[in-house]
Amino acid sequence: MIEIINVSKWFGELKVLDNVKETINKGQVVVICGPSGSGKSTLLKSLNGLEPFQEGDIRVDGISLNDPKTNFIKLRQKMGMVFQRFELYPHMKVIENITIAPTKVLNQSKSQAGKKAMELLERVGIPEQADKYPGNLSGGQQQRVAIARALAMEPDIMLFDEPTSALDPEMIKEVLDVMVDLAQSGMTMAVVTHEMGFAKEVADEIIFMDEGRIIERGTDKSFFENPESERLKEFLRKILI
Amino acid sequence: MLNYDFKWSILWTDPYGGWILEGVATTIKLGVLCCIFSMLLGIVIGTLRITQFKPLRIFAEAYTEFFRDIPLLVQLFFWYFAVPSLLPENMRTWVYQEIPDFEFWIVVVGLSLYSSSRVAEQIRAGINSISPDQFNAALSTGFSHYQAYRYIIIPLAIRLVIPPLTTEILTIFKNTALAMTVGVLETTFMSQQVEAYTFHGLEATTAACLIYMIITLIVVGAMGRIEKRLAVPGLIIRKGANS
Ligand SMILES: Nc1ncnc2c1ncn2[C@@H]1O[C@H](COP(=O)(O)OP(=O)(O)OP(=O)(O)O)[C@@H](O)[C@H]1O
Ligand SMILES: [Mg+2]
Repeated sequence: MIEIINVSKWFGELKVLDNVKETINKGQVVVICGPSGSGKSTLLKSLNGLEPFQEGDIRVDGISLNDPKTNFIKLRQKMGMVFQRFELYPHMKVIENITIAPTKVLNQSKSQAGKKAMELLERVGIPEQADKYPGNLSGGQQQRVAIARALAMEPDIMLFDEPTSALDPEMIKEVLDVMVDLAQSGMTMAVVTHEMGFAKEVADEIIFMDEGRIIERGTDKSFFENPESERLKEFLRKILI
Repeated sequence: MLNYDFKWSILWTDPYGGWILEGVATTIKLGVLCCIFSMLLGIVIGTLRITQFKPLRIFAEAYTEFFRDIPLLVQLFFWYFAVPSLLPENMRTWVYQEIPDFEFWIVVVGLSLYSSSRVAEQIRAGINSISPDQFNAALSTGFSHYQAYRYIIIPLAIRLVIPPLTTEILTIFKNTALAMTVGVLETTFMSQQVEAYTFHGLEATTAACLIYMIITLIVVGAMGRIEKRLAVPGLIIRKGANS
């Protein structure tokens, strides 16, 4: 479903992605972890064309992002994205946050999009917040709205960039529960997170990045229990404290 | 020893009262038109200043610098005297004599262009204060760049910069006074004319002062209401806007 083929990227002189190779198959959940500045967000954003890269290629469902004919708008409709700081539209009610893309991009009717939005709000557990503004919601509720907003376009793939790291501890679980649910429903997911519990529960593959490279990869247990590289050992020591 | 013979009644004596009212009407028409045009142009130019498409960005930068850096009075003279002088003789006469309210429309053009460059700067600052990931979030739902600006970024930016925009609108109304230099019969011109005819300049000028103050109060009140109506939970709201 997603093939990352020897991708390298520079910000000026700084190499932020270094020959990254990875394949994410349909229905798989891949967790990406690594220290700050290791290129996790950049990698995730390059998957839906928000960050261009200079070398290599990425294919989504066989469509090459290097192909000048690729329609990024169409491509992104199939790839939902959730951000660390929610990035809801503060001037719109929760329900409008969810319906605006389906109505403006897919030309759905207001009532059709509204009905779908309510279903999604049910699914993330906050239908009663529909008419509030994002600023009046807790962080956990905002992030669940952000997930619902992404799902409203009925994407095939969901990208998460540290979806719980801006949240107070008591709200992390409500967001992770929604994500676990999504993973179990068969959604293809790429998740940047340091939540080991989540990784152990649903990840099909975990990759560890450092300085733009994938240093280590594995499937749940072995990964956290027998880290091979010094860098990963050190990283795990830090986040497990 | 004050020796001035106050005669406030001059202000509602025919024809002077009528002149001043005409002047006020012209000031308001001029101000409102210039506000509308400079807001629309300013939003477009301010947005173009941060697009990724370089030629448009350079155009918008040149535009802003050009209209912002030259004194407004010089710009008005430029449009009113210099530009028509490039025309052939007979066309020039036609422009000055046959276009109805030529000087009025020249000021609309000149003041709108000048003010739009200032509005553009405010809009740009507003857009720059929005996190890049807000834009990415909009793009990630399948919006085009145009749609992301149209539905998300610009509505947000405008809300963020309503206080400085209020100041710009007040400046526009005050700058309409310069229209008298090219012969537009607005408030300041008319008050000067009353003085010339009656030698009661103090009364006439005081009236003009009051008129500009009232306009200012109305603009501040209206913008406060707009700000309140557009207020968004979680965005910074200027203190006192709700009064
Ligand atoms: N727009 C940019 N311009 C220049 N450098 C950038 C830009 N965005 C990111 N970088 C740099 O690229 C590197 C990778 O950044 P990235 O955000 O991908 O890291 P990350 O792994 O997501 O880190 P974090 O855990 O802090 O989110 C960092 O060194 C960062 O400073
Ligand atoms: Mg990051």
